[in-house]
Amino acid sequence: MAVQPILKYPHPLLKKMAHRVDGLDAAIHALVQDLLDTMQAGPGSVGVAAPQIGVGLRVCVVDVSNSRHGKDNNHGQLCMVNPEIISRSGNAVMREGCMSVPDYTGDVERATEITVRFLDSETGQEREIVASGFEAVAIQHEMDHLDGLLFLDRVISVSTGLFRRKQYR
Amino acid sequence: MPHRELTHYAVSVVGADRPGIVAGVTEALYKLGCNIADSSCAMLAGEFAMILIVSHKKPFTKANLIEELKPVCEQMAMTLSVRHLPQGEEDRKETPGEICQITVYGADQPGIVYRVTNTLAARQINIMDLQTKLAGTEQEPVYIMLLEAVLPDDCAPETVEQLLNGLKQELQVEISVRIVTPVEL
Repeated sequence: MAVQPILKYPHPLLKKMAHRVDGLDAAIHALVQDLLDTMQAGPGSVGVAAPQIGVGLRVCVVDVSNSRHGKDNNHGQLCMVNPEIISRSGNAVMREGCMSVPDYTGDVERATEITVRFLDSETGQEREIVASGFEAVAIQHEMDHLDGLLFLDRVISVSTGLFRRKQYR
Repeated sequence: MPHRELTHYAVSVVGADRPGIVAGVTEALYKLGCNIADSSCAMLAGEFAMILIVSHKKPFTKANLIEELKPVCEQMAMTLSVRHLPQGEEDRKETPGEICQITVYGADQPGIVYRVTNTLAARQINIMDLQTKLAGTEQEPVYIMLLEAVLPDDCAPETVEQLLNGLKQELQVEISVRIVTPVEL
């Protein structure tokens, strides 16, 4: 149980696919606690994924309940093992920053509503939730870490994005 | 490498667009051992413009840089300007306020950029990025401006909207303000 240092790109683990967890044991519970401690220690952080603290397993935590954008629409603290997005709808652009890519932020398009299924490490039960708004963005961002994706892989425009239309002949 | 061991220059190159401008300029910089610390290149009308902040380990002079870049630029008939940055000027001063994206568009007329940016400057709103385009048809030209600005601490996004509302009426243009402050995930 401790705050772990956040790995920063170009650490290779951040670009690797994380492995599925077979079941809950003491090691997984300790990992979840480390993720929670690390999230709570990060200024303004609303989520951390295991690869960010050097563990290549499909585990992440999300909690947007104390954030400006998520305080009115959230499921509180989510400790997600093997999360999977079952359905998604809508899309919206948000400018995202990530503790693993300091100093830079980028505009990323995400689904505005998602249904996520995961093993809840706090109850030991399979759980399915419908998340929307900022919580949905945060879950998608953390789950990307489990697939070795950073927001940089999804940036939609390096600039504000006003382009001349292509002339088709 | 610690910054004090580096010397920085602002370089700009503008010329008629063609393939090979970036390759030509960056080849010269690479041969000199310069690093491109920050850069932005864009096509503006038929011109290609490069703005770069380059660094080099000391000792190094502006003359070294110009000596290598000048022939490349002359060969492609491009203007070159180089300015040495005083120590510390290369550091980006981060301001803590909200970031707003402001879109302005409407029938083309003189003074759109000036009037909007002047209003922002008077309120100490700092522009970080700005692009303008002339669209529409020759008969009905439409001016489009997109900018991003950091608001001072005592200035709410609604205040910006109010500030610009007067201009919206006066110039008969559309103005919208949107917060794009990044979320930390």
